Amino acid sequence: MTDKASFIRQVTKALGRSEILPPEANCATAIFEDRVSAAASAEKAVADAVSLSENLIGQMAQSAETAGWKVHRIDTLEMATELVVDICKDQKATSVLRSTHSVLTDIPLDAALSATGTTVEVTKHTSVRSIQQIQKSKSVAFSADVGITGVDYAIAETGTVVLHPRAGVSRLLSLAPPTHIAILRPGEVLMSLDELFAIQRDDFFNGELQGSMNLISGPSRTADIEGTTVTGIHGPLEVHLIIVENNKS
Amino acid sequence: MKPLTLNFRSKAAQTLGDDQVQQSLEHVYTGFYQARLNAAADTPNWEEMRTKGKAIKDHTIAHLDHYLDTLSEKVEQNGGTVFFAENAEEARQYITKLAKASKIETVIKAKSMVSEEMSLTENLIDSGFEAVETDLGEYIIQLAGETPYHLIAPAVHKSRKDVAELLDNNFVDGDRVPDATELTMLAREKLRDVFARADMSVTGVNFAVAESGSIVLVTNEGNGRMTTSVPRIHVAVMGMEKIVPSIQDLSTMLRILIRSATGQRISTYVTMINGPKTPEEEEGPDEFHLVIMNNGREKLLRDPQLRESLNCIRCGACLNACPVYRKVGGHAYGWVYPGPIGAIVTPVLTGLKDASNLPSASSLCGACHEVCPVKINIPRMLLELRYRTAEGSTDPKERTSTFMERAIWKIWRVGMMGRRRFDWGAHIAYLLMRPISSNGWIKKAPPPISGWTLSRDFPLIARKSLKSRLNRRRKKTFYD
Repeated sequence: MTDKASFIRQVTKALGRSEILPPEANCATAIFEDRVSAAASAEKAVADAVSLSENLIGQMAQSAETAGWKVHRIDTLEMATELVVDICKDQKATSVLRSTHSVLTDIPLDAALSATGTTVEVTKHTSVRSIQQIQKSKSVAFSADVGITGVDYAIAETGTVVLHPRAGVSRLLSLAPPTHIAILRPGEVLMSLDELFAIQRDDFFNGELQGSMNLISGPSRTADIEGTTVTGIHGPLEVHLIIVENNKS
Repeated sequence: MKPLTLNFRSKAAQTLGDDQVQQSLEHVYTGFYQARLNAAADTPNWEEMRTKGKAIKDHTIAHLDHYLDTLSEKVEQNGGTVFFAENAEEARQYITKLAKASKIETVIKAKSMVSEEMSLTENLIDSGFEAVETDLGEYIIQLAGETPYHLIAPAVHKSRKDVAELLDNNFVDGDRVPDATELTMLAREKLRDVFARADMSVTGVNFAVAESGSIVLVTNEGNGRMTTSVPRIHVAVMGMEKIVPSIQDLSTMLRILIRSATGQRISTYVTMINGPKTPEEEEGPDEFHLVIMNNGREKLLRDPQLRESLNCIRCGACLNACPVYRKVGGHAYGWVYPGPIGAIVTPVLTGLKDASNLPSASSLCGACHEVCPVKINIPRMLLELRYRTAEGSTDPKERTSTFMERAIWKIWRVGMMGRRRFDWGAHIAYLLMRPISSNGWIKKAPPPISGWTLSRDFPLIARKSLKSRLNRRRKKTFYD
């Protein structure tokens, strides 16, 4: 068996050296950008998301549509409740799984869905996890008809919804149910991938990098059979993006 | 995947004669190639991005030892386990042992060319595990008992009917062939059952970020997410070159990779994994293992002429652009990596003597170089490998060029080195060719030129060179 040291020694030798050569500053990659400028880029990314919000929301709506989201633009968050209920009705949903994003508790969504006879499950933090609990969480996700989330970020460049899996935002919630609905509020849209990774890098420097991150841009799809694009091979067949245009009603 | 003994000619001939496969290969051009072309045209600073991508990869490879060191340290800090595998055998053993020790029953796989290098799926099945490919294309290929045909579209050569026969046990010849949607839904159902019981996953790695110990997976189907959400153990396998230094390099690399692969601005899913699941998460793997494999890559690294091939990010654009690949198909290349990039890495990584002919499976048109997202000069390396094969890279006894070939080039060289010699040579050639020509063309020449005239005519060398004709004209003008 090869150990790390001899593996790397071999690479060093193949590069024609006898010792590891640390890279010189001033090279192509961002690796030498220091913490201060990384923090500045991240701060700017967040500030731009707020100050350019109106513009970015317009771009987001457009690129999300290209990416395959069914985009719904609404004026105020209050209108989201009815819209979500309607989408669930269309899907003949009997069970819904939702995240703990505040956007979903700021509106009477649970009550409205329950009133139509839909079961609402919430992914939660389980501090003591048994195998049974993990199994249950999986089977709830696999049997739910609709998964509903907010967004952690969105990216205008690509029409992407970004979610960090964590307590209350499970990995399968936006993947296993056949329909995913995401609700987006002003100030949450970043300009491009550059801004997203600038924020990630700053988080990393601050020891706050999350365990994982999913970029979601449209429905699950494949073109593996005769090059024909088909949606819904492993993940959702249909994804809805509800864009709230105004923060205040 | 075991290196197959190469049979380029017969495999290519078989594909050329198969109308259905030829039709399927059209998708590679009308679909992927065109989509990439449109994506590049729609991206204002496309060339700038390629230049940056190349610079990032050049830099990483030049300091690969440093970045391997950092990467493994960070992955371990994040709670993952790193295994360095000298070759495919070591990687395979590590994964099989891990599965045995963890009492695993079902392993689900996401697409990974590196796992193909180690024939991992077959090996896991032979060791008694259930092992299932989850990328639809790979799943089809697994059911057919074949090897991938394309880097990102493994089943591109299969027709709907082929797929129906593989997926649907009730399908009999003569039935209505289901459409792509019906077949995809059938596969969804079957694979959902597998996901439900899977307890370990093996995925590839599109990018590993050295500074943070993250790995990034790019998929459209969502199997990259399923495989990192459901099982309790996640093993990611990567070739040692798949590193980028910084998190911020990801935006450039993702942009060029995805546009070059499918023409999308972004794939449906990009997943960044920074270790095992966090303690408060409900789902996700408890264990994360990263297997970093050499398997001959060090030979490419050591070779200044071929090192650039380690910049490859496996987008498949050079396959789609290659007029040879688009006709002879993926299986003709005999190993994991087909197409122009395969013609470079296969001879070196497998060390197979008969793979040394692969660099000749190219017209050197340069299309691969033009589309490469990290600007790898593939034609230059193909020429270099051809030269080495002909002349014997280290031992002249191993050269494959014939005495006749060398003699001809020697005469050519001598003839080209002086005006008078050139004129004489040309005149002799003219005299030799004239008797077998008609109307200025040779339609059927004797060997060794018969290979040429089999498919095209050879022009008769002019009786008088351009220079001597010009000289005569000039004299006429001046003195007449």
